[in-house]
Amino acid sequence: MEEIILNIAIWFGLYTIVSLSLNIEYGFAGIPNFGRALAVLMGAFTVGAIVNRILIFHFGVQGGALTEVSGKTASIVNDIIASNPAFGIGLIILSVALAMVIGAVTGALFILPSAKLSEDYLAITLLAISEVAFMVFYYHTGIIGGYYGVTVPDVFAFLPGQYRSHAFAAIAILFALLVYIFVERLLNSPYGRLLRAMRENESVVEAMGKSVMILRIKTAAIGSSIAAIAGALFSLYSANVIATSFSRVEWTFYPFLMVLLGGAGNNRGVVVGTFTFVLVKIMLTMYKYEIKSALMLPFEAVWLEYILFGLLMYFVLLYRPEGLIKERPIFSKVILEKVKKRA
Amino acid sequence: MDITPAWVIVKNIVEGSLIYSNLLVLLSIGLTITYITTAVPNFAQGSFAVFGSYVALTMLRLFNIHPYASLPVTFILGGLLGITTYLLILRPLIRRGATVVILMIATLAFDLILLGIIGSYSDTLAVITRKSASKFTFIPKDFTILSVSASLFVSSLVIILVLISLIVLLYKTKFGIALRASMENPSLAEVMGVNVEYTRLFSWFLSGALAAMAGCLLPFKYEIVPSTGAIIIVSIFASSIVGGLSSIYGALIGGYIIGFSETSVTYGLSTIFGTGILLYGRVVSLIVLVITLVIAPRGLTGVNWRRVLWKK
Repeated sequence: MEEIILNIAIWFGLYTIVSLSLNIEYGFAGIPNFGRALAVLMGAFTVGAIVNRILIFHFGVQGGALTEVSGKTASIVNDIIASNPAFGIGLIILSVALAMVIGAVTGALFILPSAKLSEDYLAITLLAISEVAFMVFYYHTGIIGGYYGVTVPDVFAFLPGQYRSHAFAAIAILFALLVYIFVERLLNSPYGRLLRAMRENESVVEAMGKSVMILRIKTAAIGSSIAAIAGALFSLYSANVIATSFSRVEWTFYPFLMVLLGGAGNNRGVVVGTFTFVLVKIMLTMYKYEIKSALMLPFEAVWLEYILFGLLMYFVLLYRPEGLIKERPIFSKVILEKVKKRA
Repeated sequence: MDITPAWVIVKNIVEGSLIYSNLLVLLSIGLTITYITTAVPNFAQGSFAVFGSYVALTMLRLFNIHPYASLPVTFILGGLLGITTYLLILRPLIRRGATVVILMIATLAFDLILLGIIGSYSDTLAVITRKSASKFTFIPKDFTILSVSASLFVSSLVIILVLISLIVLLYKTKFGIALRASMENPSLAEVMGVNVEYTRLFSWFLSGALAAMAGCLLPFKYEIVPSTGAIIIVSIFASSIVGGLSSIYGALIGGYIIGFSETSVTYGLSTIFGTGILLYGRVVSLIVLVITLVIAPRGLTGVNWRRVLWKK
């Protein structure tokens, strides 16, 4: 039971970060980012390729392929962390900060070729870029170890093994909370209202003298930077990085499901949607063998999960397109006063 | 040790490119035609193809029918899948006034549902036939005609038949005129008494049918796994967009451009940069796609060529 709760907490934290980032882009700015997985993958890239290489260089580890060297480095670093907790905490902060920078740069760059396109072309292009990047990261063994993957030091090596999940659950929830506060503040500002205006009508925004392209680039940079945090944390948690864990289904489709289930354009709704989704998903994963034997399925339960979540998405779109909690109209002080005067 | 002569390598490369391009053309014609009539880019097009592959595999394993002979069956079943997609997934949403993005997400959701169904079916098929079905090719089933593989002939034949019947249908029949009218301007066509619903149903049938036929031939070239659709979708979109999403000819041109750039051009690059690059054929097609989007966002057929030439 404890294990289930911890699992739910960790995934709730990670997915909250990603779905809030998607909510900025899709829910508020109306950018159909079908390439969300790319930003998460860049977070993992930061940990697996950059932080790892810094450590390898710093400790001067020699020998073979990246996969092998990263394994050796991880064991050296684990010993250091075990005696010096500050090193582990520093590593978390370094990874997250770097991931945010790299995520922001990737987000800004990857929306560039599509900055002037209409929604459907934009979605296709973003999906294509993300999918191709995924493939390169999977086949190229020199970036994050390709299909072999790379090992990442255990940043909580100073804790006894049974408390590792507790620590990660706390870290994931903490970061999710920070992101939530940041996103709430960010979107309750002139910038947030501008984003909603862009979603509703780009021409009006252009007519008001704001550049839609700059706005899109900015938003994609912020969104990707946040999503990269989740990628970095996930890699630190799983203590290795392999491209296959960053598939389109897990990190693009599911975040869209959470956002739409909760209510696009409403952060509180998105958090509720994420929690509902994670609850269902963890339950399915936990009881997959029981489900398989109870229903006497001749196939793996993961296929059932796909069918189920696909159908859930469809029913949300059909019967509750506004989500569990509706987006609320903007009531700033000025608007409220004007409304009162009219009434 | 014998060394294969250079012309044999070139022949093999060109042959492979042609087969692959033919299949891409089939897939992107389907994508384009549904985009024209329904204005939704169908993200499930890749899974339509994999559906076709599994229909062919079932026919082979259970009834021992050669994949070439099961082309008509895949055509019909694929068409039914296309119609199902439209009737069950898209039409209810369109009636509720869903936006393009919502419709795209719906096709993405349907893609996932299809992946789940195909995956569970492949496991079930493996249990029935006691032979793994989660990874397969038809390459051993292929034969050669005049030292050229039969799949080249079959796929070219399919393309030619499809094109001829499309041209006849679109330009020589009344239904074709109605179809073209509702592609150009759906509301005007509706005013003139054309039932736009029929043309949409037809386009989805055709889209599913062509994709499933391509899927029936795809295992002669590549190994198929249930998630192949998610991998191939990038190439399909690239060929449709490079040609121009709003023109059927565009799909034809784009299919060959992307097909050749993914195989022949990548092979050419590999002679310069080493064989490692062969894995990244899709990067080349992505680059072609991005260049097209930056220079001519409406694709090659969307460019006003007369004006471009006039300027020079």
